[in-house]
Amino acid sequence: MGNDGTRVAVKKNGPVVRLKNGKFKIDLADDHRRLLTQLIEQLRDSLTTTTDDANLRRLFPTAYNNDAKKDAEYQRLMRDELLESRLAAIDVAINVIAQDDEITTEEIDAFSRSINSLRLVLGTTLDIAESDHGSQSDTQQSDGSDSDQTGEGDEYLIQKELYEYLGWLLEWTVSAQSSGL
Amino acid sequence: MSNFTFASIQPSQVQEVDQADETQSDRPWIVIVWNDPINLMSYVTFVFQKLFGYSLEKATELMLDVHHKGRAVVSNGSRERAEFDVYRLHEHGLWATMEHESQ
Repeated sequence: MGNDGTRVAVKKNGPVVRLKNGKFKIDLADDHRRLLTQLIEQLRDSLTTTTDDANLRRLFPTAYNNDAKKDAEYQRLMRDELLESRLAAIDVAINVIAQDDEITTEEIDAFSRSINSLRLVLGTTLDIAESDHGSQSDTQQSDGSDSDQTGEGDEYLIQKELYEYLGWLLEWTVSAQSSGL
Repeated sequence: MSNFTFASIQPSQVQEVDQADETQSDRPWIVIVWNDPINLMSYVTFVFQKLFGYSLEKATELMLDVHHKGRAVVSNGSRERAEFDVYRLHEHGLWATMEHESQ
């Protein structure tokens, strides 16, 4: 399991707080809001246009590990419902990010699920492994001594930065949500 | 949140029930959450609390089992109940599966 969020959670006042009235407030800079909206819209596009993208596999896990027949039946019945649920959460999350109002428990739930979905896809793309947490993998990837691979290394670093940013944001979101349990 | 209701899975939609199911029908199903390197520990703990009403201590214990042992049984019951729990865990991005208890 990952704990990236704790490594970068250095901001004293988090970007997500639970208010005394039980609602929540998200405090993000405009460029962060634009970035998140862009990422979530990309995820929505991927979910609605592709069915066999390996990077989406963590969003549609198997339900029966040892029974392919039962799993096929489960997927036939439930996959579309799971997709609709994800898309509905994404729509709510985009609205939440676009506004500066207080948000409800249901809205913060959709927001955190969507941020987590983004992390799952990005982490799959990056081939994140348990051993990556706290390792030197970033350094190895960013060495850049081979100029032919610099572009690829830059892309990896950008995606890794995004992945860690999402972890940081999700950590604060979960902290705010947990304070209301 | 999801508008999922378990009534969406009707017995009539299950086309075949193999004989093994019949003989195993009296055994409860368990829902297992598997370790993955991406989900945050705090997020997993929160999801266990939220979906199952577990205390922070119980949810943390289960999360640590997932993290250190690779898996943890988070609920059990009928097949329908297990499928419902698996679906909710999938909604939250956790890798959950179900199987008969003694499998």
